[in-house]
Amino acid sequence: MKSVAIIVGVCLVFFFVWERVDIVRLGYHIERLKAQKVLLERERDQLQVKVSALMAPERIAKVATDKLGMVPPQQGQVLIVQPRQAPTVPLEQVRIARTVSMGRGER
Amino acid sequence: MGPSRGRRYSLLLLMLAGFGVILFRLVTLQVLQAAELTARADRQHQKSVTLEGARGTVTDRHGKVLAMNVEVPSIFGVPTSLDNPANAARFLSPVLHIRREEIEKKLRQDKHFVWLARKVEPEQGHRLEQLSIDGIGMVMEGRRFYPKGPLLAHVLGFVGMDGVGLEGLERRYEAQLHGEKRMTILQRDALGRTVFPKGLREQVPAAGHALTLTIDEVIQYIAEKELEEAVDHSRAKSGTIIVLEPQSGAILAMAVSPRFDPNAVAALTADRWRNRALTDTYEPGSTMKVVVAAAALEERTMMPGSMLFGENGRMTIANTTIHDHEKLGWMTFSQMIQKSSNIGAAKTGMLLGEQRLYRYLQAFGFGQRTDVDLPGEVAGLLKSPREWGRRSLASISMGQEVGVTPLQMVSAVAAIANDGVLMKPYVVAGVRDQKGQLAKETIPQVKRRVVSSVTARTLTTILEGVVTDGTGTKAAIPGFRVAGKTGTAQKVDPRTGAYSSALSIGSFVGFVPADSPRLAMIVVIDEPQGEAWGGVVAAPVFRRVGEQVLTYLGVSRDDQVKIAMVAP
Repeated sequence: MKSVAIIVGVCLVFFFVWERVDIVRLGYHIERLKAQKVLLERERDQLQVKVSALMAPERIAKVATDKLGMVPPQQGQVLIVQPRQAPTVPLEQVRIARTVSMGRGER
Repeated sequence: MGPSRGRRYSLLLLMLAGFGVILFRLVTLQVLQAAELTARADRQHQKSVTLEGARGTVTDRHGKVLAMNVEVPSIFGVPTSLDNPANAARFLSPVLHIRREEIEKKLRQDKHFVWLARKVEPEQGHRLEQLSIDGIGMVMEGRRFYPKGPLLAHVLGFVGMDGVGLEGLERRYEAQLHGEKRMTILQRDALGRTVFPKGLREQVPAAGHALTLTIDEVIQYIAEKELEEAVDHSRAKSGTIIVLEPQSGAILAMAVSPRFDPNAVAALTADRWRNRALTDTYEPGSTMKVVVAAAALEERTMMPGSMLFGENGRMTIANTTIHDHEKLGWMTFSQMIQKSSNIGAAKTGMLLGEQRLYRYLQAFGFGQRTDVDLPGEVAGLLKSPREWGRRSLASISMGQEVGVTPLQMVSAVAAIANDGVLMKPYVVAGVRDQKGQLAKETIPQVKRRVVSSVTARTLTTILEGVVTDGTGTKAAIPGFRVAGKTGTAQKVDPRTGAYSSALSIGSFVGFVPADSPRLAMIVVIDEPQGEAWGGVVAAPVFRRVGEQVLTYLGVSRDDQVKIAMVAP
């Protein structure tokens, strides 16, 4: 009985020491992960700034006009498409309307 | 036996004395000095740091980022740890883009800490890390970035080096935007490395709240682009455009020219970043006739068909002569507005009388702040009738002797577009916490009804005439019904104190489509060179901005073919 108690006591001591060592080890691990998280968040923010800058309307307009040769749509070149449940215009008329409108734009 | 026993006692006493000393020392350390020594030990293996949550982002109504914080390196030196400041300066100069002599001067100071460069580009930080110079260190600090550059700069404002908002929304919403500051205690080991927060109860400080604006960055871009072109073309001193939703008062765009880049404000003066849309007053000139006409129609002192005589372009009031830009005879009230007759407006004002005109000017919001959620707004100038002179009634009726901001004027005309109801203009649609939850939402706020629905509709028809047959034909947008009014006001020459023949302000204020308004807009061009008529310098800008914005919003033209998408 006495020897069992001694063995249990020694085990408890070892467990306590192991627990303390493991807490310290995990503490270092947590800190490494935190540092990594901070670096990744920083990189994410920097990339987000770059994306936002690249998506600036001023830049897009410049690329569209200067590089791609695009021009603002003229009268008759824009068709407003409205989602509806039921058809309001017969399909044939839609085709005709598009043809007429495109023709107007090309002039 | 005796000597042996005596030696044992001596040894025992010696041991007792030894234990006594140890016990005394133990009591001294563990009991008497316990508090002081515990504190000293804590100082060695704990460190306290103040952490600050990131400043909140600012986005437009569609979530496009307009301002955000990014952590960037700040470079410091420890002069007392440097053996060779000249050598360190030689390496640092090309990385930091600062003159070598300047760095060396800082590093030769008798100090323990000097800033060399704050909030530099991340790339510069990487290069410095590779150099690894003793006595030169780096800390990360939050830097405010405005990724769209000058876009919306006058509204956004900017922050100072310490990250506190100094102008614009950054200043107005400082309390919501700034991150939480929290002190945290960290455990450190013998090498000074952080082990884990004391008590494992570390909490990350909360980031600042994010602002969602009513601004649409595309509409803002269109307004800024067209304003820049107009100001350049007319070689004007400055210009302003405000676009808002008449039904809610939500501001869609607020453009001020000349622009500035909030990422680099160090070299600029306050004159450059002042938001002229609400800090500068001007005499509105003929755009004020919209308010005078609304008052006359509401009070039934005038009907659209009421006849007025234009005095052939000249009329004397209080020993001064009022001129019209052309010799006008008999005309209807509608024609008077369309042709922008000063004499007709003066007569209309005189029929209303001082008190009634003043009451309507106040009701439309002149002489008081609109309470827009931006800093620096002024109330403008509207004297009480007690202070009016003999000519004031006529002058105010044609937009003189009264100082308004562009925001006041567009809000007043938006009330006509909104069926006679004046709304409070606003820029921030909502405030969200760091989890994205809505902390505060702005509900459109009715200020008051200024005229009846019937008066608003009648006046809208008259203002449509300004664009179809009057002074504002250049504001006409093909396929849309436009209602508006031109304004040309002479400025007071600061040298003479009299109205200048060379300095003027041309403006156009209106709304579109007139039958179902989606936009109310004002264009103000300050001191254009050459032809300065509002109908010449401002009306075409209204047309160009309106045309592009309506297309962008998908508002169909009256003559446009509409196609319905049908589910297959």
